[in-house]
Amino acid sequence: MILELKNIEKSFGEKKVLTGVTFKAEGGKAFGLLGRNGAGKTTSIRILMDVFPANSGEVLIDGQPIDYNKIGIGYLPEERGLYPKKVIIDQLTYFAELKGMSRKAAVESIDYWLERLGMAEYRNKRLDTLSKGNQQKIQLITALAHNPDIIILDEPFSGLDPVNAMLLKDVVKEQIAKGKIVLFSSHQMSYIEEFCDSIAILNNGVVALHGDLHDIKRDYPRDRLVVKTEVPEAIIADFGSSCTVMESGDLLIRLADSSEKKATMTRLVENYDIDEVKVFEPSLNDIFVEHAGNATVEV
Amino acid sequence: MKQFRKILKFELNNYAKNKAFVGVTIFLMVVIAIVMFFPRIIALFESGDISDTTADLPVMLVKADDPAGTDMVREIFATSFTDYDVQITAEEISVIKNKITSGDVQCAFVMNGATSFTYYVDDLSMYDMNPDIATGVLQQIYQMNAMINGGMSPEDAAGVMSIQIDGEVESLGKDQMQNFFYTYIMIFALYMVILLYGQMVAMSVAAEKSSRAMELLITSAKPINMMFGKVLAACMAGLIQLVAIFGSALVFYNVNKSYWGDNGIIDSIFNIPPELFVYMLVFFLLGFLIYAFLYGAISSTVSKLEDINTAVQPVTFLFLFGFMVVMFSMGSGNVDNLLMQVSSYIPFTSPMAMFTRIAMSTVPWYEIAISICILVASTFGIGILSAKIYRVGVLMYGTSPKIGNIIKAVWKA
Repeated sequence: MILELKNIEKSFGEKKVLTGVTFKAEGGKAFGLLGRNGAGKTTSIRILMDVFPANSGEVLIDGQPIDYNKIGIGYLPEERGLYPKKVIIDQLTYFAELKGMSRKAAVESIDYWLERLGMAEYRNKRLDTLSKGNQQKIQLITALAHNPDIIILDEPFSGLDPVNAMLLKDVVKEQIAKGKIVLFSSHQMSYIEEFCDSIAILNNGVVALHGDLHDIKRDYPRDRLVVKTEVPEAIIADFGSSCTVMESGDLLIRLADSSEKKATMTRLVENYDIDEVKVFEPSLNDIFVEHAGNATVEV
Repeated sequence: MKQFRKILKFELNNYAKNKAFVGVTIFLMVVIAIVMFFPRIIALFESGDISDTTADLPVMLVKADDPAGTDMVREIFATSFTDYDVQITAEEISVIKNKITSGDVQCAFVMNGATSFTYYVDDLSMYDMNPDIATGVLQQIYQMNAMINGGMSPEDAAGVMSIQIDGEVESLGKDQMQNFFYTYIMIFALYMVILLYGQMVAMSVAAEKSSRAMELLITSAKPINMMFGKVLAACMAGLIQLVAIFGSALVFYNVNKSYWGDNGIIDSIFNIPPELFVYMLVFFLLGFLIYAFLYGAISSTVSKLEDINTAVQPVTFLFLFGFMVVMFSMGSGNVDNLLMQVSSYIPFTSPMAMFTRIAMSTVPWYEIAISICILVASTFGIGILSAKIYRVGVLMYGTSPKIGNIIKAVWKA
C-alpha cells in the first residue's frame, strides 16, 4: 500500500501554510515527517486525516483518492489528552467504537494492548490516577486498538523512560513488519534515523527534501574523511586548513575532490598512527539543520 | 449514524454518572414529594383537636354605645369575623387597651355612634382587613336600622340586605387566569433548563478542548455527529430530569388529591389540555435545541474553561431578552402586544413567546404553523452551522477569536 500526498495547498485566511506539499509513504516501512515548529507538519497530518480539506491537491492510496470508510487511521497526537476523569477501559472502548469497531471486538483488542504494554492492572482505574508515561501508553492504545492501516505517531517518544521507549520501539517495529504505513513526526532525529527508511523535511510549508534516507545520505559528495587517531597534532600540521577537529575529537579532512579519497586514505594510513578512517556521511541532524535551519527561506 | 448513536450514548452516560445531576434530580423530587404530602401531614396533626377548635380563637372585643342593639351587633360581627371569638364588652377604653397590650385580647372595636368606630390592635399587620370589614358591617347595621325604622319588618330588611346576585363569566377564548400558572411554570422550566443545560453543553465541549481529548475526537468522529450527539444527549437528559420531577409531582398529587381539596391553582396546573401539552413539548424541544447548539458552538472557540462565561454572554442576553418580554407581557395581561407578535416569529424568542400566546390568548392556526416552521428550519440550520463552527473552533487555541474571524473561517471551511 502506498500513501501519497500530491500538491497539497492550504491557507488559513491570508496565511499560506502549505505550498505544493508532495510526499510518498510505503506500507511495511516507516516514514519520517520532519520540520521545525510551525513548518506545517500538523496541518499536513490533519489534511491527511480529513479533519479539514486542502484548498487543492489530493490524498491518494495506491493512486486512488483515499476512502476514509475503508482505510483506518490511528493517530497519536502531539498534544496528548483523553478524558482525565474517566475509567480507562470505558474511554478506550468509546474511541475504538467511534472508529467503527463493535463493542466486543473493541474490548478484546484493548485488553490485548493493555496486556502488551503492561498496563492491564490499570484497566478499571481513572486516567488521572496514572503517571504521565503511563497516560501516554494509554493514549498509544487509542492509535492502535482499531488495527489501522496507517499509523501516525507525533512525537511518540517524548515523555517515555528508556524501558518504555524500548517497548514502544518493539511495538512500532511489529507494526511495520505487519505491512502498515507508519508515519513518524518527531524532533528527536536519532529515533527517526533508527526507524525511518524515507523522510520528508518541511520548511515553511514547502517540502525541502524528500526521499530514501540512504539515498539522501549517499547523494552527499563523498569528499570528507573522518579520522580517529592518537596523534592529531601531526596530521593537523600536515593538512593545514583543510583539517578541522570535530566535536567528538575526531579529525575531519576536507578533500579538494572526491577522487582524491583513495590516495589521501593511503597517505594517512602509511604515515600516521591511525585507528580508523572513513568517508564522512552526514547525520540526519546535519541534514535537517541544513534544510530546515533557515526559517526565513523564501517560499 | 452508528457513530452518532455511540456519541449520544456516551454523553448520556456522562449525565447518568454525574453525581451532581443525579443528586439535584433526586433532591427536587423529594422537595416535590414533601410539598405534595403537606396537606396530608397537616391534616394528620389537626385531626386530634377537632373538638375544641373554637377555644383557641383570638378574642375580639366590641364595645357598643347602644345597649339595646348589642345582640344584633354581636351576631353580625360574629358572622363577619368567623376567625375570632367575638365578645361584647362595656369596659372602659383604658382597660380594653391594657388587655390588648397584655395579649389577652387581640383587637377591639369601639363604636362612637352609629357611623364611626375606633379599631384597637397591638401590631397592625400589612394585610389587616378588619377595619374594612367593620366598615361594611356598620353600613349594614345602619341600613337595616333605617329600613326597620321606615316600617319594614326585620326579616324583610334582612332579606333585602342579604340578597344574592348570581353572575357567570364565560370566556369565548382562553381563560388567562386558568392558563397563567402552567404557562408560567413552562416558561420558567424552559428558562432554567436552557441556562443550566446550555452551560453543561458548553462546559463539556470546552473541557474536551482544554484536556486536548479534542485532538483525538476530531480525528475520530465527524463534527456534525459530535455536535448533534452532545446536544441531543443534553436535551434527553433535561427531558428525563423534567419528567422525573413533574412526573413525581403528578403521581404524588394524585395520591394526595383528596387532601388538596379545591385548590384552583394546583388543579389548573395538573389539568393542562392535551393539545397545549403537545405545543409545550414542541416549543420546549426546539427552544432547547436551538440554544444548546449555540452554546456548544461558542464554547468550541474558547481555549480555557474560565473564558466560557464571557463568551456565551451574548447568547444568554438574547435568551434573557425573550424571557423578559414574555414575563412582562404575561404580567400586563396583554400577551398579544406588538413585541410579542414579532417575538413569536423570531426563532430565538418564539419558543417562549408563541407558546405563551397559544396558552393565554387565541392565535390562528396558520400563525402557529408559520412560527413552528421557521423554528424547525432555523434549528436545523443552526445545528449544521454550529457543527461547522465547532470543526473550525475546536482547533483554534490561544486568545478567543473574534466573531468576524470565526464567520470568515466557517465560510471558507
